[in-house]
Amino acid sequence: MKIQLSWLREFVDVGDPAEKIARTMSLRGFAVEGVEPLGTADAVLDFEVTANRPDCMSVVGMAREIATAYGLKMRVPPGLPLETSRASRQDPAHVRRGVRGAGSTASRDHRAVDPPTITIAIDDPGLCSRYVGLMADVTVGPSPSWMQARLQAAGIRPISNIVDVTNYVLLELGQPMHAFDFARLAGAQIRVRPARAGEAIRTLDGQTRTLSSDMLVIADGERPVAVAGVMGGADSEVSETTPTIVLESAYFDPLSVRRTSRKLGLKTEASMRFERGADPSMAALAMARAAALLEQIGAGRTRGAAIDRYPKRHKPGTLRLRRERIAGLLGAAVPDKDVRRILERLGFTPQPAAGGWRVAVPTRRVDVTREVDLIEEVARHYGFDRLPVTFPALTAAPAPPDPRITRARQLRQALTAAGFFEAVTFGFVAEAAAAPFAAAGQTVPIANPLSESFAVLRPSLLPGLVDAVAHNRRRQRADVRLFEIGARFTVSAGERRAVACACTGAAAPEHWSGASRPMDFFDLKGVVERVGEAFGLDIHTAPCDHAWLADGRRAAATADGAPVGVFGELAGSVADAHGLARGEPVYVAELDLDELERLSAGRAFRVEPLPRYPSVARDISILIADTLPAKEVRRTIREAAPPTLVRVAEFDRYQGKGIPADSVSLSLRLTFRSSDRTLTDAEVQTAMDAVMAALRDRHGAIQR
Amino acid sequence: MPAHTDHPAIKALRDLFEQQRPSATTEQALKGLRDAFLGRKSGHITEQLKRIATFPPEERRDFGAQVNALKAQIEAALDGLHDTLQAGQKPAGAVDVTLASREIPIGRIHPLMRVRQQVEDIFARMGYEILEGPEVEDDFHNFEALNMPPDHPARDMQDTLYLAAPIVGGTWGAHRGRLPKAQVRAATLLRTHTSAMQIRYMKTFPPPIRIIVPGRVYRRDNLDLSHTPMFQQFEGLVVGPHVTLADLKGTFEAMLRELFGDVKVRLRPSFFPYTEPSAEVDITCQACAGAGCGTCKHSGWLEILGSGMVHPAVFEAVGYDPEQVTGFAFGLGIERVAMLKYGVDDIRLFYENDLRFLEQFPL
Repeated sequence: MKIQLSWLREFVDVGDPAEKIARTMSLRGFAVEGVEPLGTADAVLDFEVTANRPDCMSVVGMAREIATAYGLKMRVPPGLPLETSRASRQDPAHVRRGVRGAGSTASRDHRAVDPPTITIAIDDPGLCSRYVGLMADVTVGPSPSWMQARLQAAGIRPISNIVDVTNYVLLELGQPMHAFDFARLAGAQIRVRPARAGEAIRTLDGQTRTLSSDMLVIADGERPVAVAGVMGGADSEVSETTPTIVLESAYFDPLSVRRTSRKLGLKTEASMRFERGADPSMAALAMARAAALLEQIGAGRTRGAAIDRYPKRHKPGTLRLRRERIAGLLGAAVPDKDVRRILERLGFTPQPAAGGWRVAVPTRRVDVTREVDLIEEVARHYGFDRLPVTFPALTAAPAPPDPRITRARQLRQALTAAGFFEAVTFGFVAEAAAAPFAAAGQTVPIANPLSESFAVLRPSLLPGLVDAVAHNRRRQRADVRLFEIGARFTVSAGERRAVACACTGAAAPEHWSGASRPMDFFDLKGVVERVGEAFGLDIHTAPCDHAWLADGRRAAATADGAPVGVFGELAGSVADAHGLARGEPVYVAELDLDELERLSAGRAFRVEPLPRYPSVARDISILIADTLPAKEVRRTIREAAPPTLVRVAEFDRYQGKGIPADSVSLSLRLTFRSSDRTLTDAEVQTAMDAVMAALRDRHGAIQR
Repeated sequence: MPAHTDHPAIKALRDLFEQQRPSATTEQALKGLRDAFLGRKSGHITEQLKRIATFPPEERRDFGAQVNALKAQIEAALDGLHDTLQAGQKPAGAVDVTLASREIPIGRIHPLMRVRQQVEDIFARMGYEILEGPEVEDDFHNFEALNMPPDHPARDMQDTLYLAAPIVGGTWGAHRGRLPKAQVRAATLLRTHTSAMQIRYMKTFPPPIRIIVPGRVYRRDNLDLSHTPMFQQFEGLVVGPHVTLADLKGTFEAMLRELFGDVKVRLRPSFFPYTEPSAEVDITCQACAGAGCGTCKHSGWLEILGSGMVHPAVFEAVGYDPEQVTGFAFGLGIERVAMLKYGVDDIRLFYENDLRFLEQFPL
């Protein structure tokens, strides 16, 4: 909120320059966004008023805070019937209470020669607990330049003396006001009532708005003339020729104004104050101030007394404040005199009570509803800097960290050691980007996305990660290896955590000693197995048919028979969609961390004794059909060999010259070892013979 | 050895050796020279040794001595040549050690995770339990229990992204021996802060509490220099019978000094619905060391985290008695810390995953 320093000084005699006031107040809870000098002696301060302090969205509110911060007394400018320190005061004498004349009998001005008067009625006191109306005969014209200047400094455009007076009061006292052209109010009446469904109003901004029954309007005898607490209607707007106006100063229910404002998408100076909570006590005061200003600037004279409908009175609250509670929360006792001084300056009324005080809270302080709110007031103005620096005592043994956090660190270590850089991508992606990675109807749309590119929650980390690969490829990076750890979301599985990898380029960094081969499926498979290792799990691989992976180079990973993820070469269509060049395969993998965590839970690692006897390695080369998975060959070998077979692994695979079509030469190394003796050649040979026989029988393998 | 002149053949041979000696500049030439003089079959010296027997007995002894002396001299000279050659020549298998190394591929932890791990470590040492929670949440845990009922104006402070239809949220806290009852069921929104976990935690475990919850949070902010619709934060919570605002001060001073080095820390009153009193925490500006500059809007201070004493309404929402316990809570933006710590001026860099950026960070 922008306020002119000279205006503040009408309420508080603060001598500091604007910059210094800004620094002081930012340590009292009012950050100052900026200070603009205004001439040589004045300035405009832009205070950031937090959502809980609608009372400070005004000159008087900020002045009260400044007075408290500086230990100064508030002063009341002449013509302003303002209370300064008492929690609650009766309304000024010349604002006559309208309750007496409730119903259709309105108050009358004895001077007028039977002019028409306005009647005011409130249908739902729950939504509008107070409505003060006042008629005035006016001469519409521009307001004086001093008034215009103050409005402009606050960012409000001067319009006419009438509107400017209402805005001036809004800024000065924080009470939103409105002026109607009396002649345009059908039936000379104001009725605060819920809108009728489908009812329309053209608001001051020229827009026609359709209202619903949960909105509150100010209506005349026929139609809505204002959206209560939000914006007036264009049809009853004060014009240059308006001779008589009705001024409104009311209290509207915060929730109702907020809902209406949101529903209409209309945020105004008035709605911002009402939805945070206006001060019901201020409605009549503000009206008196507006009346005085109208006369002061020669814009008009009030006709009769104000009509004050106040069907539901707000009572100032009283709160207990315990001395020991202040110390208990702040960590230091605050001297009684400081407590009193601070509270009184802010307009609270503390009365001594057992163990502390009973504190009356002014109605404007909508944020103060509990003892702790009072303690905050004390702490704020006592100064956080005066509190001691201590450390919370440990009274129980700290629990270990969530293992998923420890595990994520292990994964980061394993994957960075494999040359992968950690990426962090957004949790939402474009619908088209998500589609290949989720079954139909499985993506989770966001109801109010920022844009199409953030339309759905990611069903996989890969769309984002592949985008990051593409980003780097476009920047001349041939070799890219990225991984990410994070959540993914589908309709049926909900939120699950995953780790994903995406890589492209050479298998090893370029070096003068020779060309590096391009990365391939098996590099990726190694990475996947490494992730498994980080969980103490063996990963098993089988072909899969995920359409977002390239046919023939895609696989499903399992551990302990449970599916844990998929990996392979990204399908050309998907790579295309991410702007990746054809012929530069991108390998991707994604594993479910929640599942890996579940499978590894409770596994304790123990070392095995070192072997005491030597091992014997034997190689075997066989010719088999090239459709036979290596896994089958290994399984046959394991089944045929005695338990002394400790390892079997392929070390060569050859197809081409000298090998019949549809066949492949596969060479495997078998390692045998016994834990209780040195194996003899004969034993190993017998085992090898059995293995070869089984390979021959089961797969038609030919030994080479 | 008798002091008389050399036999002419010996002298000739000596001269020949001295004449050929400079040509032995390579290992190969040296080998040639050695073979020529000392070769077993036809070396010059060998031939002279064979001649010894042909001399008359009285000369034989003298000549033999001369040949052997020359042989020893030549051997010594050849060995000397060999050493010189060795010294001046690269040994077998020598490499140009200034050639480029073979790069050992290694990746990097993301800078945000780097900061996160550092903060985790600091708090772990202070006895905090570190845990994660789900990213999709329900309204109760994200707002209501945190003293933000529906239509609360403070909800505007955190413009929320909602799901079109509820889904099942993630799990948390399995490490405490059993899955807590307060798991996410029908999640309807993306959490706007990780404070939601504080509610789940308090609903599951009694005080005292000392936790820190890192994670991703979401707000409906457009991408610009200082905003992303998703960012990372830490939320911490300490609850006990005598936890005070002074404790909060002490904790942040310790934490921020460890994170940023020798900085001053100050608390400024602020407003959050779930804390009362609330405070923003500032540190001396990293760019100007508190002198005032563009980064800190000439104040010398930078806002680094939001905090406060847990609002009694929050305790009531989880079934704690605010008369019996007090606590403090705080939230720290990881991006903000990383930006200040590493001098990053555009938050989007963290989400582009450009290797030229990522690889600048040390191992």
